[in-house]
Amino acid sequence: MPDYSVRVAANITAMRGRYHAILVAFAGALAWGAPVSAQPADAPARSPRNANYAIAAQLDARSHRLTGTERIVWRNVTSRATSELQFHLYWNAWKDARSTFMREQAVAGSPPAIAPRDAGSIDVTSVRVTTDAGTTDITSTRAFLAPDDGNSDDRTVMQVSLPAPVVPGGSLTIDVAWTSVVPRPIARTGVIGDFYFVAQWFPKLGVLQDGGWNCHQFHATTEFFSDYGVYDVTLTVPSGWTVGATGRQQDRRDAGRGNTVHRYYQEDVHDFAWTTSPEFIERTARFDEPGLPPVDMRLLLMPEHLGQEERHFAAAKSALRRFGQWFGPYPYGHLTIVDPAFRSEAEGMEYPTLITAGTRWLVPRVVTINTPEEVTLHEAGHQFWYGIVGTNEFEAAWMDEGINTWATARAMAEDFPQAYHEERFFGGFVPWSFHELPLRRETFWNRLAGYRRAVRSDPLTTPSYLLSPALGRFITYNKTALWLNSVERAIGWPTMQRIFSAFFTRFQFGHPAPADFFATAAAVAGRDLSPYLDDPYKTSNVFDYGIERLRSDREDGQFRTSVTVRRYGEGVFPVSVVVTFENGDQITEPWDGRDRWRDFSDTRGSRAVTAVVDADETLLLDINRTNNSRTLQPEADAAATKWSLKWMVWLQDHLLSWAFFL
Amino acid sequence: MTIPRLLADAMAQVRRAPLLVAGLWLVTAAASLPLALVVWNDVATELGSSARGATVAAGGDYDWVQEFGFGATGVSTALTPRVVGFAAVLDNASGFVDRQPRPLLVTVAAVGYLLAMVFLTGGVLDRLARRRPLRAHGFFGACGGLCPRLIRLGLLSAIAYALLAGPYHAWLFDTIIDRATRDVTAERSVFMAQLLGYVAWLVPLGAVNLLFDYAKVRAVVEDRRSAFGALAAAARFLRSDWRRAVLLYVSTLLMLGMVIALYAVVAPGVGGAGAGMWAGFVLSQLYIAARLTMKLLFWSAEITFFQSRLAHAGYVRRAAPAWPESPTAESL
Repeated sequence: MPDYSVRVAANITAMRGRYHAILVAFAGALAWGAPVSAQPADAPARSPRNANYAIAAQLDARSHRLTGTERIVWRNVTSRATSELQFHLYWNAWKDARSTFMREQAVAGSPPAIAPRDAGSIDVTSVRVTTDAGTTDITSTRAFLAPDDGNSDDRTVMQVSLPAPVVPGGSLTIDVAWTSVVPRPIARTGVIGDFYFVAQWFPKLGVLQDGGWNCHQFHATTEFFSDYGVYDVTLTVPSGWTVGATGRQQDRRDAGRGNTVHRYYQEDVHDFAWTTSPEFIERTARFDEPGLPPVDMRLLLMPEHLGQEERHFAAAKSALRRFGQWFGPYPYGHLTIVDPAFRSEAEGMEYPTLITAGTRWLVPRVVTINTPEEVTLHEAGHQFWYGIVGTNEFEAAWMDEGINTWATARAMAEDFPQAYHEERFFGGFVPWSFHELPLRRETFWNRLAGYRRAVRSDPLTTPSYLLSPALGRFITYNKTALWLNSVERAIGWPTMQRIFSAFFTRFQFGHPAPADFFATAAAVAGRDLSPYLDDPYKTSNVFDYGIERLRSDREDGQFRTSVTVRRYGEGVFPVSVVVTFENGDQITEPWDGRDRWRDFSDTRGSRAVTAVVDADETLLLDINRTNNSRTLQPEADAAATKWSLKWMVWLQDHLLSWAFFL
Repeated sequence: MTIPRLLADAMAQVRRAPLLVAGLWLVTAAASLPLALVVWNDVATELGSSARGATVAAGGDYDWVQEFGFGATGVSTALTPRVVGFAAVLDNASGFVDRQPRPLLVTVAAVGYLLAMVFLTGGVLDRLARRRPLRAHGFFGACGGLCPRLIRLGLLSAIAYALLAGPYHAWLFDTIIDRATRDVTAERSVFMAQLLGYVAWLVPLGAVNLLFDYAKVRAVVEDRRSAFGALAAAARFLRSDWRRAVLLYVSTLLMLGMVIALYAVVAPGVGGAGAGMWAGFVLSQLYIAARLTMKLLFWSAEITFFQSRLAHAGYVRRAAPAWPESPTAESL
């Protein structure tokens, strides 16, 4: 396998030498009035910083419009020249129902229409580039591309042509002006009431790679990919409205006419999101852990969720502590946690140094899927993968979502082991938790139930933007988490932790590809991992092992036990078979799981009681665990009686509900 | 009579008719048992000889619940944690007000159950009105004799309920409340709006129920054969003393609420499959019996209230003569 890790690391090393020059250029080049960076120009850079944004935007809360200008200082870090620039214009995905995003949502079952008053859009009004040769207006060269599906109605990728190519190592200053309409909440962005969550909101450059521009259309199943840089953003919003954003606030001043200007700054990130509302209640806390850098946490809470502050902070601290100890430290020193408004659809999302959590007004005291713990931990965890490692979420979303889901599940099991199932009633407003139904990492937090729905869907090798719109997320999140947890159980946590720590450390800010991960895994593990990686990653094979037959017959004063274990699915994974006898004896037979079936036999003085394949739950991708065991003392009748009696009472109560109106 | 006296009298009548409660409980159990056996078979088949049966029997195996649910069909799709303990009551109440669909066979069972109850209603009302035990043939004779008019009343009430549960519910929740809360960002405010919606929906539902209850009472007690006539008579009666009628209805509703609240405290959880399972089941059946008792209390209270307002209190329709033993013959 090519050593992509060495090549990428070499690129990063070569780039860092140019950071000082870029920062000086960025600090000086602001003809549009955008604010200058307040940070020292020689601050050590963690990332390539080849796409630096200085943005000024004003929100008109009455018309839900944003007007913005940005100055981008961009550097070509590839080995090829380019004569064009490609931008993401994500909000055009919600202009009408003809965009690729809306068409894919319709395939997934969502309503295909978007009412005009709810639509969003972004309109670039001016593009100018400045080089050593001067400034050129290239607005007229705007063209929309549809590189993924050829949909000529999709306006989420815009290309402009440069007056002259930008050679490798060359840089460019790009000034863009735009206006946009903030949509009603859709895909974690939008306005409802006085709550704004503003993400993917500015014209954002794609990523130039050696193979060309990596600038995908906005798909229903994918998230985002962009270069690292410095963001210096000035936001003008109504006075009295609290702002939360990527980075630390540098300045806040009255702008007159009922507006206030907020300035935020952040280095070494690849995106910038923000939120504003007059409703937020602000709370702060600090993460302090020996051996890890401190982090100032800022929570913007909805008033009706007062009382849940500590739950948010505890979850964020869990992510910072566990992920910091397992993979590497969180470098930014601060984190903003946003508690989104009800029905803002902004819950559960990650942005650099800013996350959105999600909770309900009525929540049980115990941890459930609807309490803030898991979502906050998960989104904080994204800082490490989406944020710092910076994988391509268009093409290999599993490297962020899946890895993060796996790691979140482990952290949940460590720090929130008492979690229970919850149902919600009366329109979903009233919770009821079941203290006899605990949630397990291996199944629930790894999201096995969702994976079953998509088990025959696409393999993980499928570029994420080509995954089934209805089922893709079950592959990137659920299947990856189950697969990685299976690998962890097979090779052991210490090895797994070393793999991910090495991967995180080597590829911070490096945009690694799947091959980089597999190379790291093989190098660190020091063994052939293909039995655990190949089938789950490269195929959509179903994993299902089961005990087909168990017999234990008396023969000449002894018991002859025979067990037939079968591979029902196409997926192959090493497993073992455990047979337990009446006298307490237990034998374990390893099996590479390749054949369709295997017979095991034993003769001893005791009768067999049970046979189990994969008793230690190594293969968490197995979709049917009921058939993993067979016993000569079944208790199915007792279990059936228990559950059918409960069901009968439910039906009786249901009948009485009808009969009340008799 | 004051409301408390009416309720006390009504409860005394119900207490003196334990066979009514037992009989209705038997009908409820009979209506649900066949489908419960289907669920039993589905679970037993799915578990088969798996050792997992032991863990599923012993306690709460949520992993199995999810796995079973993935492959479940028909009525077994309703086997979720929502059927456990008091969650079952919440699920049914929530499903009722939110108009959540159920498996087809469950709906079929409900319709069959209602038809059986319509048949029995005549005998129940007649028994409560006469305030004395009837023999089986007297009871079922009343059932049969009153069934046609009660079916006619039932059809009229079904139309009214269908309009309330259909177009009115949709207009209230999908149009009015949705529009009113479109830009509301506080969940508790939206929930309050939802609650108001529930009230706005349930009040007319209760009013229709009250009207048709008294229509049934007048149809039985006064031997009215016309459904429209009984309805008109019920409306006249309610108009004459609607305050007390509503207060009586609400008071009985509160007593039903107390029964449900008590079950919330004692309802069995997932538990195991041993003696505790049967104890829990018996407790649940006591709750079902208590619900049925409350249903009888509604009718009994309404009958008592109606009869107390008549000049001839205690009046009840003349029974059809039958030889050799009948109440009519006894009165001769």
